[in-house]
Amino acid sequence: MADQVLEGSQPVDLSKHPSGIVPTLQNIVSTVNLDCKLDLKAIALQARNAEYNPKRFAAVIMRIREPKTTALIFASGKMVCTGAKSEQQSKLAARKYARIIQKLGFPAKFKDFKIQNIVGSCDVKFPIRLEGLAYSHGAFSSYEPELFPGLIYRMKQPKIVLLIFVSGKIVLTGAKVRDETYTAFENIYPVLTEFRKNQQCKHMATHFVKAAFILPFLITNTKCVVLLQILDMDEVVFYGDEI
Amino acid sequence: MLSEKTIAGLFFIENRMATFELYRRSTIGMCLTETLDEMVSSGVLGPEFAIQVLVQFDKSMAEALDNQVKTKVSIKGHLHTYRFCDNVWTFILQDALFKYDECQENVGRVKIVACDSKLLVQ
Repeated sequence: MADQVLEGSQPVDLSKHPSGIVPTLQNIVSTVNLDCKLDLKAIALQARNAEYNPKRFAAVIMRIREPKTTALIFASGKMVCTGAKSEQQSKLAARKYARIIQKLGFPAKFKDFKIQNIVGSCDVKFPIRLEGLAYSHGAFSSYEPELFPGLIYRMKQPKIVLLIFVSGKIVLTGAKVRDETYTAFENIYPVLTEFRKNQQCKHMATHFVKAAFILPFLITNTKCVVLLQILDMDEVVFYGDEI
Repeated sequence: MLSEKTIAGLFFIENRMATFELYRRSTIGMCLTETLDEMVSSGVLGPEFAIQVLVQFDKSMAEALDNQVKTKVSIKGHLHTYRFCDNVWTFILQDALFKYDECQENVGRVKIVACDSKLLVQ
């Protein structure tokens, strides 16, 4: 929410974001090597907000409230930090976890900190014809609405995976630096506008689907059934929840 | 001699039914332990027999809470700290509200220790 207010109040740099939309960073995954062997049971017993169930997972799961993150701490001294909303916050959180481990008496260092993944999301605020997009970008797209309602777009340059939903909501993942997220979005934006769904269709679809839901047993006349059959799968999935 | 072990230590008795020792720290458990201690030190009771009584207490508490208590209590508060280690959950709540039947009560700080009773059924 805060990000959206920020977006609205600060003018977007159009030379960097020609679409006028800046993807919001939602999750940062980073790793660091504390460079010492750890006694996970001792850590779980002494530290607060820790879980350790070696039968299930060979790491201590620890959380802190500020920055709100989760860490996986392994006996080897390697640590994964997830949940931060920016690179700096991720590093700060990782430092805090390292400090907690130090306070428990381990000679923890802070080696090879690295951002491993950045997840961003945004909303283009118009519906998208996923089938058309999948068809014309077949080499990059995977669209199996029966398995997952979003189109999976594997961009080659930058190497980013995008989840594109009929609603116009986009998720971008796989970036190591935030500029890859931004570039990937600017690359895909013209494609999304090309496959923008016609609003006229939306209203028609809504009516048909409404009819189908309200009168599921009463529709016996052939016309309605035929109309329902010609509906695009996209519309049924997306507008179904509006009804 | 009767000093407690870990709070959730498992204790196996002859019929291979395990029990949790966590109720020994309750008021009734502490009283029983004290009384048994006194009886053992004054020679009224043998130490093995005292331990057997405590094990029966563990078993009876678990059974009673399982079968005889129908009251449902809801506890709502701010989670200050949690821990899961050795199959024991520990929660520290702040400003908790206990609700049972018609009455409710506010408690500033609560520690909840919880074990999985399924672990007892081997």
